[in-house]
Amino acid sequence: MTRDSLITSENDVDIGLEFEGLDDEVDTFQEEHERERHRGKRRDGERTKKKKRGNGERRKRASRGGQEEEKLQARHEKKGRRKRSRSDQQAKGREGDEAEQPKIKSSKAAKTRKNVKNEKTRKVEKEEKDEKEDEAEDEERNVKRKKKHGSAKKEENVEDGNKHTVKKKKRKKVIETSSEKETSEEEDNEEEDSEEKEVRPETLTPEELETLKEAVDERKKLIQGLRGKPWAMKKKLVTLRESQEFVEKYEGALGKGKGRKLYAYKVMMTKKWMKFKRDFENFKTACIPWEMKIKEIESHFGSSVASYFIFLRWMYGINMILFCLTFGLVMVPEALMGRPYGTIPRKTVPRAEAPSAMDFAVLWDFGGYAQYSVLFYGYYNNQRAIGWLKFRMPLSYFLVGVGTVAYSYMVVIRTMARNANESGVGDDNSFNFSWKMFTSWDYLIGNPETADNKFASITTSFKEAILEEQESRKDDNIHLTRFLRVLANFLVLCCLAGSGYLIYFVVRRSQKFALDGLENHTWWERNEVNMVMSLLGMFCPMLFDVISALENYHPRVALQWQLGRIFALFLGNLYTFIIALMDEINLKREEEKIVKFNITTWEASLYNITASENSTAPPVTIQPADVPRGPCWETMVGQEFVRLIISDTMTTYITLLIGDFLRAVLVRFLNYCWCWDLEAGFPSYSEFDVSGNVLGLIFNQGMIWMGAFYAPCLPALNLLRLHVSMYLQCWAVMCCNVPQERVFKASGSNNFYMAMLLVILFLSTLPAIYTIVTIPPSFDCGPFSGKKRMFDVIQETLESDFPAWFSKVFSYASNPGLVLPFILLMALAIYYLQSTSKSYKEANVELKKKLQTQNEENKKKNKLAALKAQMDLEEARKAASPSAEHQKNNNASTDQEADEEEDRGRSPRMYNSKNGRSPPPPRHDGHLTATRAPAPRNYQHGSQVSAGYLPGFTLENEARMHRVPSLQRHGGSEKTKQHVTQD
Amino acid sequence: MVSPAIALAFIPLLLTVIIRCRFYFVLFYRAVMVRIWRDCVTGLSREERAYQYVLTHATPGDPDSILEAFDVWCSKVEFISNIGPKKGKVLDRMLMEQSPLTVLELGSHCGYSTVRIARSLPLGARLYSVEMDQRNAAIAEKIIRLAGFDDDTVELIVNPSDEVIPRLRSEYGLERLDFVFMDHWKKCYLPDLQMLEGSGLLGKGSMIVADNVLFPGAPKFLRYIRKSGLYEWKVHRATLEYSKGIRDGMAELVYQGIK
Repeated sequence: MTRDSLITSENDVDIGLEFEGLDDEVDTFQEEHERERHRGKRRDGERTKKKKRGNGERRKRASRGGQEEEKLQARHEKKGRRKRSRSDQQAKGREGDEAEQPKIKSSKAAKTRKNVKNEKTRKVEKEEKDEKEDEAEDEERNVKRKKKHGSAKKEENVEDGNKHTVKKKKRKKVIETSSEKETSEEEDNEEEDSEEKEVRPETLTPEELETLKEAVDERKKLIQGLRGKPWAMKKKLVTLRESQEFVEKYEGALGKGKGRKLYAYKVMMTKKWMKFKRDFENFKTACIPWEMKIKEIESHFGSSVASYFIFLRWMYGINMILFCLTFGLVMVPEALMGRPYGTIPRKTVPRAEAPSAMDFAVLWDFGGYAQYSVLFYGYYNNQRAIGWLKFRMPLSYFLVGVGTVAYSYMVVIRTMARNANESGVGDDNSFNFSWKMFTSWDYLIGNPETADNKFASITTSFKEAILEEQESRKDDNIHLTRFLRVLANFLVLCCLAGSGYLIYFVVRRSQKFALDGLENHTWWERNEVNMVMSLLGMFCPMLFDVISALENYHPRVALQWQLGRIFALFLGNLYTFIIALMDEINLKREEEKIVKFNITTWEASLYNITASENSTAPPVTIQPADVPRGPCWETMVGQEFVRLIISDTMTTYITLLIGDFLRAVLVRFLNYCWCWDLEAGFPSYSEFDVSGNVLGLIFNQGMIWMGAFYAPCLPALNLLRLHVSMYLQCWAVMCCNVPQERVFKASGSNNFYMAMLLVILFLSTLPAIYTIVTIPPSFDCGPFSGKKRMFDVIQETLESDFPAWFSKVFSYASNPGLVLPFILLMALAIYYLQSTSKSYKEANVELKKKLQTQNEENKKKNKLAALKAQMDLEEARKAASPSAEHQKNNNASTDQEADEEEDRGRSPRMYNSKNGRSPPPPRHDGHLTATRAPAPRNYQHGSQVSAGYLPGFTLENEARMHRVPSLQRHGGSEKTKQHVTQD
Repeated sequence: MVSPAIALAFIPLLLTVIIRCRFYFVLFYRAVMVRIWRDCVTGLSREERAYQYVLTHATPGDPDSILEAFDVWCSKVEFISNIGPKKGKVLDRMLMEQSPLTVLELGSHCGYSTVRIARSLPLGARLYSVEMDQRNAAIAEKIIRLAGFDDDTVELIVNPSDEVIPRLRSEYGLERLDFVFMDHWKKCYLPDLQMLEGSGLLGKGSMIVADNVLFPGAPKFLRYIRKSGLYEWKVHRATLEYSKGIRDGMAELVYQGIK
């Protein structure tokens, strides 16, 4: 039973309809009965054939029905009446003969066997329903037999004449009508639904139960696969609802009898389990920190802004780990197990500073008590093992310093690799418009304003793309553009140089201040360096943004330039700062030399005093606060970084409050009394600056990495900062920003940020490593005091804590003869991996090309096939038209149109309008032609025709119910004819 | 004392602000400074100077040449906030599409937009132009007559718009307004619109065009039409007349009536 035959059966339907129209004219008042009878008969005939005489009883009944006078009209159609007859049948079918009941069941069982095999269940079940109708109609017929009259004979003749041509046409139609399969199937589906409702679970046999179960299973499958079906959304919804209803209704009924309770329990438990799973998912989502906040922002501002917050959260996670390492392995052990405050000079505030050590201004600058605490390098003692745990403090300090950096490298590189995997597939250059067309919508947007913006940005991107395409061809005035670009870069360079010089100047000045003594200068002058750096970092990007308007780049390119420039600026500032710090370190070290010399003389003098006084007297105890000490450059570096971080954070927050919040407040509330529209006009609300914020975050992290070795408190501070800024920025974004006009894709730039983070990581570990490796630690502060280099602590540990063989192995392993080959091997491995990845990439490109060409080929093939089919069709039509010509004389057009319509299965129903007032189809005296000349499948035609008839009957699904496989149907009709002749 | 270095760090901000707002500075210079200076020097009002220029440079009876002379004067010599050539084209198009028979113009200023509307009206259409200021009205009258439009086509009403609108039906015998153009005080857009609604002069399909809704801007007006639901509306985005960098918009409203 092919699907095609299903649709072709429409032809017959149509013919029937026309005749019916005739009938209407002939005897309007009896048309209903007539039609009913016709339907029943035809159905019987068909079925008998279809079932291959499977149940003779029914056939007999059919033929019995056929023995009535108008049995020859078997092919007449009766669509319009379908519904009513069904309701009739519902009423009557049950109370009908007892004999009919088993019949139905058996037929149903037979059908369901088929069900299992293919998905045509619905059709079969439809038949089943037809059957029932038949029974109802049979009864009716018995009652109304007397009313019939003999007009049928004439029609039969006509029909006989037409049948051949019709059949011929049917074959051809098969080609064209594949598109309707789905719809017809769908309709059948619904039909089945209504039909199935009549089945009462109580009366079902095990077989039926099995069937029902299968049907339910099938529905479930349908529900699951519904999403992938190429249907219209409306239809999907309808199907889904119906299927769900069906499943709801019969799932419980299935488990009749003893198994029922168990089944119901099982169903209930599955539902509970599903609900639990969903709740658990929700719970899991709720457990992800700030997930809801970020989702909300995402829905309002699109994914690019959300990507910043996701990045922030990711950063927070990393800092959490860094914090745990430094806090758990360095600060806490030192605070708990190390010597307490005031026991040794490095853990005591010097006498000179003591009076002001608790002042807020001093503490704010991280001097005084803050300086002499676990927060900074200088506080730690060089005692090898502390506490009862014998905790190796210096070693731990060193390893944590190295470990944080190593961990950061690992995480960043791993994330980069993962991102590369995700985004490495698509290339931006080919299928530009298709990409834009199909992928530019951001489905996470839930805010109308943002949706508007997104819509606008998509349209503008289309415009821009079109313009780009045009511009790529004609290149007018390239010299001007080049000149402007060079000019812009020149200006930016000037700006960078200026800012660099300003920072250098400020740092030099601050050194001068430091030499003078910081106390003589104002707060402004003391914090000059940080202030200037923050301000430049804030304002220069704005200037770059303005300058970049000169260049006339594409927004994406412009964004990259902008990012690069800001990057250069930040880096320049940071490195100027570091160079200045280096100068300061050198100064401190010179100072340290002097102090060292002084201390030896001081100790000597102290010794002399004690020695000269009395050798037996107890040694003079000196307060640790009084002991002269070196400048401790490490603590100084740490302090500088902490101050930088603090001032940076403050500037960020103040900018946020002034630039965003205050601006928003002013715009919002001054707008009532201002002479222009502040909201739409000049100041407007601010947009969220993703790139600037991300860069700020990245550089902030760089400073953390740089300074964390000298100030273990830095990760903690950063954690605090990130935590606060998470809430603050979330609030600021939701409260005072508007969605961006220019929304760029978040996923594309993600790895860009990561790459920048990696570069910054590298650049920030460079100075830290440099200082660790080249500069000897201070002699009287920090965990490495007294050693020549900081990394000597490893050597020391190896020698004293590990067995001798281990240090021997280690010394062998660190032999250059072994290390060099190892490095070489690594380089080779990297080279190998890189080349393989390159070849993979090439292979990917090749495959993509292949796919493309294959697609094109397929398209060509399809086109050819379609063309061929069309040609065939034309030929067939030509062949068909002569036969049609001699049969139909004057009114070919109506028939033609009817022909067109049958494919759509829509307007035939119009003919069938219940009230006989509809203009009848043309009447032919001798032959009534049902054959139609081929006509263009033009929709307009059809609608014109149908407009002529009163559209009283628009039951689409009804029309499609009659698609019964045609071959068998033909056989059926022939069969009925045979019956007729027999009679 | 703030150190000079910190002050120097503000230079980029200053530069940014100057570059960003250069159009506003230029506008301020042209519309305010030049005007005050010229007022002092010539003793004439701005509109009179414009009229003199138009009188000497345009062909009488030719609206196009008058408009062109206006455009030249406004872009080269001084600044008058007319509708301008670019937005004027949008207005022309809307008039062509609508071909209204009864047009109300609120705020004719010195007649530029009046001439612009009148020249693209269909035959037999009538334009009521409302101007509050006596002196401006006199000049507008002269300009309109210079362009060759008589009393039948253009009727100038010298009165504030809020007094004129309620009397339109009674005194001028209007039944329905097909087209309303607003270019007077931005504050009056909303009350005048509400008054028009109340007067019942707006029918289904009546078009209302309001200039300068973004700059200087009529936020309340925009908010109202957004909320009211009586109109089908859109904003034609453009730049401010005779200036390139300032964004402005023209609101186009089509009255739908209460459904």
